[in-house]
Amino acid sequence: MLEIDNLHVSVAGRKILDGLTLKVEDGQVAAIMGPNGSGKSTLSYVVAGRADYEVQDGTIRLDGVDIMEKSPAERAAMGLFLVFQYPLEIPGVATMTFLKAAMNAQRKARGAAELPTIEFMKQVRATAAKLNISQDMLKRPVNVGFSGGEKKRMEILQMALLEPRFSILDEMDSGLDIDALKTCAEGVNALRGEGRSFLVITHYQRLLNFITADVVHVMSRGRIVKSGGPELALALEASGYAEYAEGAAA
Amino acid sequence: MTGLSSKAEDEFGRLLPADVTPSARLFFDQFQRAGLPGRRVESWHYSDLRTKLRAVPEMAHAPDDAARAVARHKLEASERLRLVTVDGFFAPDLSDDISAVAGIDISPVGEAEFFGGAADPMLDLNAAFSRGGFLLDIAVGARIDRVIEIVALTGAETDRSRFGRSLIRLGAGARAEILETRDEGFAGFGDSALFIALGEDAQLDYACRCRETAGVEVQTVNVMLAARATLRAVSLLAQTPFLRRQFFVSLAGEGAELKLAGAVILGRNDHADMTMVVHHNAPACVSREIFKYVLGDHANGVFQGKIVVPPHAQKTDGKMMCRALLLSDEAAMSAKPELEIFADDVACGHGAAVTKLDAQQLFYLETRGVPHIEAEKILIDAFAADVFDALESEVLRDLLRTDLSDLLGEEEPAS
Ligand SMILES: Nc1ncnc2c1ncn2[C@@H]1O[C@H](COP(=O)(O)OP(=O)(O)O)[C@@H](O)[C@H]1O
Ligand SMILES: [Mg+2]
Repeated sequence: MLEIDNLHVSVAGRKILDGLTLKVEDGQVAAIMGPNGSGKSTLSYVVAGRADYEVQDGTIRLDGVDIMEKSPAERAAMGLFLVFQYPLEIPGVATMTFLKAAMNAQRKARGAAELPTIEFMKQVRATAAKLNISQDMLKRPVNVGFSGGEKKRMEILQMALLEPRFSILDEMDSGLDIDALKTCAEGVNALRGEGRSFLVITHYQRLLNFITADVVHVMSRGRIVKSGGPELALALEASGYAEYAEGAAA
Repeated sequence: MTGLSSKAEDEFGRLLPADVTPSARLFFDQFQRAGLPGRRVESWHYSDLRTKLRAVPEMAHAPDDAARAVARHKLEASERLRLVTVDGFFAPDLSDDISAVAGIDISPVGEAEFFGGAADPMLDLNAAFSRGGFLLDIAVGARIDRVIEIVALTGAETDRSRFGRSLIRLGAGARAEILETRDEGFAGFGDSALFIALGEDAQLDYACRCRETAGVEVQTVNVMLAARATLRAVSLLAQTPFLRRQFFVSLAGEGAELKLAGAVILGRNDHADMTMVVHHNAPACVSREIFKYVLGDHANGVFQGKIVVPPHAQKTDGKMMCRALLLSDEAAMSAKPELEIFADDVACGHGAAVTKLDAQQLFYLETRGVPHIEAEKILIDAFAADVFDALESEVLRDLLRTDLSDLLGEEEPAS
């Protein structure tokens, strides 16, 4: 479903992704683990289409289509979704307005009619309830004044409403207590199935107790250095990232 | 000024009718002595009328049938109680019959009324030339539950000079909601004046939307608030080739309250100058000024705000804020907030900031499938729309919100 081939990316003249190659199959949950600063968030931003990165080489394909020249919104309409490690606060934009704009924009891009307001409200309420998101949270501006955990639940709400075919979860577990982590993981697991894939980025193995991965990749200094099954995550948890850390021999 | 008068001033002199009243003559002389304001006059530094107004268009006349037909064409159906002016002249036949509504009275502007107001050459010029304006009186204690709308239209097919002048007076304890829609077309020159006087405990929500303003236009709003009176005034300015909108406010009675706000949305070569002088002339008055500018293309935004607190105005609470969102590198903003405080027990402050659209917020919206242009509009709207919260009237707030999003929908924000 997602194929990244030999991706080289620099930020402010510094190489961050250094020939990264990765393939996530249809229906698969792939995990990427790696030390801080290894380029995981950069990878997620580049796949989502952020403009301020300098892509020097490589391709990214979604369902066989090269998306390198596509805008973030076009990628979203193709079914790509990113759970931000640090979700943005947008003062002045009501959460419901935002959700509606997003859902209708994607429907429009796919040639579907706008969602009637009543139907929209119904969907949001039902999904929000499952994620322990209160009506009060929905009334506030996007993420403004939310705790870290509330922000993450709001990300999962958006994911559940937009039903993306390919989701990247960038450290969804950071800043979450165990209950919130469970709630979010349930939200993700509910979407799992044929035709949907996930790239789960995390620093800690703990997340993979809640979202079981089919494959685990280890990322270091801008590339995938090791791949294996879930046991790889457990091994990492035991040994730490010392052998992969910045400065260590690859 | 020395004897050198500009061409425009002479032209105004030539346009002054032979049968001009003595008081109008006095105002004109006063105007001529001061001269057309330009960059050398400090308070007009950013809006140089002297270079802008090189030729003075012919005077607008009281509308004839043809002019009224042109104006009528622009009137949309509305629920509101409507007062229409055509080139500054009140047009009763285009207006709703307001005499039927209890608590409201409308009459021609008498010469003696409200000829006070701030010392300003353009206000003097207006006093010299204006004819045909109206005085709207809301009776003591009256509650007007329908929105009153003042619609300023043109009937002219060519450039004209217009000098609209209207007065709004609320008796003690009266309450009203007034919308002003200025849509006089891009042609010509305009120098309008509006006087607002609120009696004790009166409350007015006043929203003004400027849709099309003249090639060169000055709008002056004079406000006088008696004790505990409250004015909430919000302006939405857009499509202004060259506009100076100035407020002169006197908080004259103890405990009066002013909320002055505005959203200024400019593109092309538009120039809009919002200037306000707020005098806290009594103790314990509150004023809040908040203005937001959205500037694209080569637009030029100007904000000048001054809060004046004389020694006796203790317990004054005045705060002023101006923020600009620049959408283009060619757009420019000049902001000059000032405090002149001579009392010691006051809480006053001001701030000004210039920002750009936040790339991260844009990216976030886009990753949710919202196209770039759409995402920009959402953020621009969010930036500007909160100034409408200064109004208590939900109807007026919603009207301005809709107008703003229509404006943003129409014009691609230039980047
Ligand atoms: N916008 C940026 N400007 C400069 N350096 C950046 C920027 N974004 C990321 N980096 C650098 O790129 C490296 C990788 O960052 P990141 O992708 O966030 O890693 P991870 O998510 O694995 O912790 C880090 O050294 C970080 O400092
Ligand atoms: Mg990261």
